[in-house]
Amino acid sequence: MIWLTWRQHRQQALFTLIGLAVLAALIVPIGLAMRHSSTALGIPHCVKLMGDGAYLSSDFPDKCNNAISQFTNQYNIVNMVGVLLLFVPMLIGLFWGAPLVSREIDEGTHRLVWTQGVSRGRWALVKFGLVGAFTLVLSIAYGLGVSWTMTPLSQVGISRFAYLSFDMQGIVPIGYTLFAVAVGVLAGTIWHKALPAMGATIAVFIATRVTSALYARPHYMSPKVLTRPVLGPGAAELNPAHGDFRVHEAVRDAAGKIVQDNAQVGCPPTVTKCGGVGKGAYNWMQYQPGGRFWAFQSIETGIFIAIALLLIALAIRRVRRIS
Amino acid sequence: MESVLDTSGLGKRYKKNWALRDCTLSLPSGRVAALVGPNGAGKTTLLHLVIGLLRPDAGGVRVFGESPHDNTKLLPRIGFVAQDTPLYRDFTPSELVTMGSKLNRGNWDSDVARNRLAQLGIPPDRAVRKLSGGQRAQVALALALAKRPDLLLLDEPVASLDPLARREFLQALMGSVADTGTTVLLSSHLLGDLERVCDYMIVLNSGRVRLTGDVDDLRANYRQLVGPRHDGAPIPGVTEIVRQSHTDRQSTLLVKTDGPITDPAWTTHDVTLEDLILAHLVETEIRGTHTAWGVPA
Repeated sequence: MIWLTWRQHRQQALFTLIGLAVLAALIVPIGLAMRHSSTALGIPHCVKLMGDGAYLSSDFPDKCNNAISQFTNQYNIVNMVGVLLLFVPMLIGLFWGAPLVSREIDEGTHRLVWTQGVSRGRWALVKFGLVGAFTLVLSIAYGLGVSWTMTPLSQVGISRFAYLSFDMQGIVPIGYTLFAVAVGVLAGTIWHKALPAMGATIAVFIATRVTSALYARPHYMSPKVLTRPVLGPGAAELNPAHGDFRVHEAVRDAAGKIVQDNAQVGCPPTVTKCGGVGKGAYNWMQYQPGGRFWAFQSIETGIFIAIALLLIALAIRRVRRIS
Repeated sequence: MESVLDTSGLGKRYKKNWALRDCTLSLPSGRVAALVGPNGAGKTTLLHLVIGLLRPDAGGVRVFGESPHDNTKLLPRIGFVAQDTPLYRDFTPSELVTMGSKLNRGNWDSDVARNRLAQLGIPPDRAVRKLSGGQRAQVALALALAKRPDLLLLDEPVASLDPLARREFLQALMGSVADTGTTVLLSSHLLGDLERVCDYMIVLNSGRVRLTGDVDDLRANYRQLVGPRHDGAPIPGVTEIVRQSHTDRQSTLLVKTDGPITDPAWTTHDVTLEDLILAHLVETEIRGTHTAWGVPA
């Protein structure tokens, strides 16, 4: 079975590796260029100056602010382009997961391979296992590569804990990739043609990813809350060095009622009215501290791997029962 | 005689339609059996039930006394050439033989396949998709024979072949099962292909078994009678009238007999297998599709 799996998929494996190599050839130079400009602008020094307070201290040098904004302006585009990388796990699921069973049945070769001396259960286990192991290695390489590329940017600008950034680095790509492959495999046991199975994979993958990111992720651990009076130092500007994940922010009046949702305001203490609110009003922010980054990564990865294993178990069951 | 394959009340349904129904038959060991019937008669369904690709919705199927579905003890003993001979198209014949040896521990003999393919002049290193239909069928047969099977199932093996390749294929098949005692069940919608090679017959139509038995017995037990117009009175020696046609004065009957026809009014003729099969195929109900087509019946 191992030989057969290798023989059937070696060409596809080669193309996949070439694809990833091309991707690496694109993002590694960008990572190198970012490190180069970061050093040239003196940003590593600025990062040290940020200290570990909750907010940026008021004596944070303007020179650093300028350098950081110059750097983030220049490389924010990388984050935009990075959005495309979010689809890599889905693509792997489309091309490795969806055709795995469906093509076999569509081309009728299941009548050849399921009538030899290997049980369908073993056939499925070895195939899914090897393809799973291969895509696991791919996703580890992908996660590490993107993490390395994004490090200079996540130190100063966009937190690696923020939406999209979180989703393409660290270990979560492993969970997403295995999940996408499992969805594809299971879809292929339901629709016995590759195209419908691929369509179902796209729909399920995107729906699950969006739902889990927006509705589940903020609640993995109970968030912390920061408040700051509106009149005074102003909006709570979190220290970017912490890399916190802002879950929810709002302006509340003295009674605690939300007067402006998804906003922060700040005025000098000398005025009495500020953005429609007055004395006693405060900026309120719910956030997940940056120190929880790896805990969140592990939780999310764990959830997706668990779902993937469940889907694969269902797929093996279906393969054994296809009739 | 010991039977290799037994089905009882076997049925398989797709949605509401029964592709095979109430199928009860048994195939004696060592026979070369033809599974005959028009397209859509249920031949492929029956073979897939026998090889365990399908599970029955009614009744049961036993091969060497065991249920074949996903049965890894049984499957290495059954050679199967599926319809249109599915093979991995980017594999070479030599790689397919390797695949067979990896997937079948025990009885598998790669040399059987290699010798056959060498004899037939099939290149070992050319991708299967570049081979002709006849060569592909030969590769598929070689893979099935290399299992050294006790039962060999072939689903329309010659349907896609030209007449010459048909004859070569069947000759090669008969040559290799003649001295191994392998039981063979091969399906076709053309009797002509199989008449020369088979000694047992199963006729299917509309999902039901219409006729089954030893070819010589069948030939011996059926007669065509020509005589005066028949009024339905019993004829001595006749147990069943399969088909009858009448003119004003004369009747032609295809009958099953249990003894000689002694009534001098009737002239008896031998029947060919083809007549016999056709007689059993026409007696099927034609399902009314007039409403489905929206035309008056």
